[in-house]
Amino acid sequence: MTLAISALFVFLVMLGMMLVGLPIAVSMAAVGILGGVAAFGAPFIDSIAPVVWGTLNENLLTCIPLFVLLGELLLRSGIADRMYTALSAWLGGLPGGLLHTNIGACALFSATSGSSVATAATIGTVALPSLHARGYPMRGALGSLAAGGTLGILIPPSVNMIVYGSLTNNSIGKLFIAGIIPGILLTLCFMAYIYGSAVMGGNGMREAPLPLRERVRTLRYLVPPVVVFGIVMGSLYFGIATATESAALGVLVALFFVWRMGKLTREVLETCFLQTARTSGMILLIIVAAFILNLTIGLTGVADAITKWVTSFGLSATAMLLALTVFYLVLGMFMDVLSMQVATIPITYPIIEALGVDPIWYGIYIVLMCELGMITPPVGMNLFVVHGIRPDKGGIQDAIWGALPYAVIMLLFTFLLMAAPWLATWLPGKMA
Amino acid sequence: MNPVQRFLAWVFGAIFLGLSVVVSVETLARKLFNYSIQGADELGGYALAAGSVIAFSLALVGRNHIRVDVFHERFSPRAQAVMNVLSYVLLAVLAVLIAFVAFKVVQDTRAYGSTAPTPWQTPLIWPQGVWYAGLVVFALVTIGYAARATLLLVQGRIDEVNHHFQPKSVKEEVKEEVDDFAQRSGGPELLRPAAEASPAPREPA
Repeated sequence: MTLAISALFVFLVMLGMMLVGLPIAVSMAAVGILGGVAAFGAPFIDSIAPVVWGTLNENLLTCIPLFVLLGELLLRSGIADRMYTALSAWLGGLPGGLLHTNIGACALFSATSGSSVATAATIGTVALPSLHARGYPMRGALGSLAAGGTLGILIPPSVNMIVYGSLTNNSIGKLFIAGIIPGILLTLCFMAYIYGSAVMGGNGMREAPLPLRERVRTLRYLVPPVVVFGIVMGSLYFGIATATESAALGVLVALFFVWRMGKLTREVLETCFLQTARTSGMILLIIVAAFILNLTIGLTGVADAITKWVTSFGLSATAMLLALTVFYLVLGMFMDVLSMQVATIPITYPIIEALGVDPIWYGIYIVLMCELGMITPPVGMNLFVVHGIRPDKGGIQDAIWGALPYAVIMLLFTFLLMAAPWLATWLPGKMA
Repeated sequence: MNPVQRFLAWVFGAIFLGLSVVVSVETLARKLFNYSIQGADELGGYALAAGSVIAFSLALVGRNHIRVDVFHERFSPRAQAVMNVLSYVLLAVLAVLIAFVAFKVVQDTRAYGSTAPTPWQTPLIWPQGVWYAGLVVFALVTIGYAARATLLLVQGRIDEVNHHFQPKSVKEEVKEEVDDFAQRSGGPELLRPAAEASPAPREPA
């Protein structure tokens, strides 16, 4: 038990290092290496070597740069921007008007991109000026965009799921497939809320419907994202391809669409490559650090000790998950969510596993907690993103209040997922 | 963007585009013709090894290695500068340590003449050599940054430290996205102006 308590203390020190602004990778590696050396002396350094090479030579992780590149290609070529046009034609007529389009476009964009910030920033940039010009109340508009953006990591492909899968040795393909139903359901919950509040509030905005022919014409804008998503997820679901292979297929298909749009230029490619390299470099360094930390946790038996200690309280799985929900809710208020995820999984995963929770389900749960962390103040990444794009003057509190109902919906949705875990586990169970 | 960064970005892109072609061909050939051109997995691993070390350096130069800035931005400028320098110094220590353990990997490979346990039996020294070289470059670049930050701090040029070595704020990231958007499109004409907004309290459709 003393081991468990001292380990928890070290864990808090690591969170402290992160919160005062040291690089995330450094904080994790420092704790991992110092802890390992303290326990085993200098020879520990030698045992890091195969871990570092093993991580950076792991074909599974190759899907990170590939999926990031896929998202960049669709984003920088403008393919993602045009989805908004099509969706506004189809969804704008509902009570709540373009707010539905925001959610829908975010969901579709998420289906091609693994990043929530990119999702909120892109759709927000396209949407906010026109929402403002049409007199949509800013709070509702900002809230829908911030919340919609979080769908980026729940609807596959999702960088956060890849990170979870690699840290816990779970199938990335299964995690992706598991995200589909919750992703669609959460999207519908958001839209139901917009619909309901527009009808009940009596002042909902609504767009004049376009003629059907015009609407059908806009459908072609949806072809690229739908085809890319279909190929990536289809090949995974039917067992044709691994995560890395499906990403490679997706990249080539995206490249084809970029070429068809006449955007296969030096500038576009250069931006895509540079951005992909920067994002992947950031993620991969954190993963290397996380694996070093994992090595220490594994060798010292800390995870076992903590698991024994926590389970000795006799909490049920549900009680544990509720406690974790509070923990993640608070942590997510202050931390970047990717960092939160890598920092906590090595500790929480073994506990949850010991309590018999399905590991794929827990992956979806963690992603939901990360989503929540993106729209809870003071450090909700997406709140700042949409606030940064808003065309009028106004405080960050508009984004915070606007997103609050969605945060509540997400929390309720998490409870729903606890009550009905099959929502996440049914589809991956049917995979070929 | 300076030419070195640009060149590295292209090398990085070429690695993964090339890999995508090979992997896709392998996947399709395996499924359609039941024929496998062995080794796409192995190649994927090497691509990651080579690509990731380039990416580490590009992320460093782009200030993309994440730092949480919620409390950081409330510190006094002096404390911020100290934290910024400390961040880069520790990053340099980590980079050197990784390069050092990579050296051990390469040393062992040379001593035993290790080859990959795959049909190709690739002599591991090739991919590992490239990987090690990339890590050494990353270590050198990081040391350079750390040294410059330390020098500025010692000279008391607090503002410059904070200007160059601050964690990247969301504001900057959003600005990058918005600028790129403005460049790739003509602006908000994407949204067709046909529909007019109408405040419409109506029954559900």
